[in-house]
Amino acid sequence: MIAVIALIAGVALGVVLEPTVPIGLQPYLPIAVVAALDAVFGGIRARLDGIFDDKQFVISFVSNVLVAGLIVYLGDQLGVGGQLSTGVVVVLGVRIFGNVAAIRRHLFRA
Amino acid sequence: MSGPAGRRYSEELFADFFRAPLDSGYARAAQRRATAGPPPRWQVFGGRGGRAVALAAIGFLFAVAYHHAVAAEPGTSKARRDLVADVRSRQQQTDDLRRRADALRDQVAKARDEALVDSGEAARLRELAAGAGLGKVTGDGVVVRLADAPPQIDPVTGKQSADNPGIVLDRDLQDIANGLWLAGAEAVAVNGQRLAGTSTIRSAGGVILVDFRPVTGPYEVAAIGPPNITDAFNASATAKRFRRYVETYRMQFGAKARENLTLSAAPDPSLHYARPPSPSASPSSPSSPSSPSSPSSQSSPNPSRSGGR
Repeated sequence: MIAVIALIAGVALGVVLEPTVPIGLQPYLPIAVVAALDAVFGGIRARLDGIFDDKQFVISFVSNVLVAGLIVYLGDQLGVGGQLSTGVVVVLGVRIFGNVAAIRRHLFRA
Repeated sequence: MSGPAGRRYSEELFADFFRAPLDSGYARAAQRRATAGPPPRWQVFGGRGGRAVALAAIGFLFAVAYHHAVAAEPGTSKARRDLVADVRSRQQQTDDLRRRADALRDQVAKARDEALVDSGEAARLRELAAGAGLGKVTGDGVVVRLADAPPQIDPVTGKQSADNPGIVLDRDLQDIANGLWLAGAEAVAVNGQRLAGTSTIRSAGGVILVDFRPVTGPYEVAAIGPPNITDAFNASATAKRFRRYVETYRMQFGAKARENLTLSAAPDPSLHYARPPSPSASPSSPSSPSSPSSPSSQSSPNPSRSGGR
């Protein structure tokens, strides 16, 4: 309940404030979103498994976003361009897919 | 961790990754909770607060990313809309200027006629201007109407097929114009655009341009000529070819005689070699007109020498 309210509050805050993303941070935005999605689906799955842990969730979210951002930054500095970001997206995508599949098994028993 | 176990882990990292996408930290935390008992009260509330803050941050991130993705899109479409409006207004401007040029040209012609009223030169000049496409002409003639074939619709999928062989190309309009000249036309216009000696009919990006001005279908090629021009054109090879296109590609084509056609003048051709005499120089001085034409007169022997051999 708290979680849903907090999520809605965050969305509302973003809609109301309409912050402009600084140019330097723009390449990190999509990666950060994917990392956050991974944390969210991981949390939902853990909740359904009955092993949800607040500390683990917060740390996984923060570290996911930071590490993803770091890898994109590293790719930029190394001159491999978007290839490292592609790697991040693939890895996180696989995780999201696996977690969503587990959630589906929980919800539909199939 | 022992050596073999570490190697096994690294080898199966990917397989493990696909099999168990959940952070193992969740399971470890649950284990810890099971062994150590329920956490103290402050930790529960702190955890809830942290969770709420993290989720609010995630929601904020989503909203910002969505806003960013949506805001980036109208920028391009807005630029495109501005460009379209720009093109429209410039076209309007061109039309206005052309109308003004037509009016001024009429004035010039009238003044010239008045100045030359004594000699027979005025009629001859008018004749020449009409023939060269530089004067408005009226008379009887023929109008050739040409339109794209309707797009072919696949009977199975109901979709329009991408390539339509019955589309009117620039080549078709060129052929029709040439056919009309051949049939004895004295003046030809495509969708109201008069053709002069240096006019072009081309296509650029799927649009047909007559003298660099776009024309759209259905195309009407009007020609003024002798009374038998309609029959002459209908009997020509060009007309026969287009009637075959009608049968095979369902292109729309028809030539009808029409009376009292009015074809406006073509835009003044830009002068490539000739130059209007400057008012300061005396008109009899031969050096000023010859100097711009000297490169062409020097270069002209070259092709004739190589061609004549």
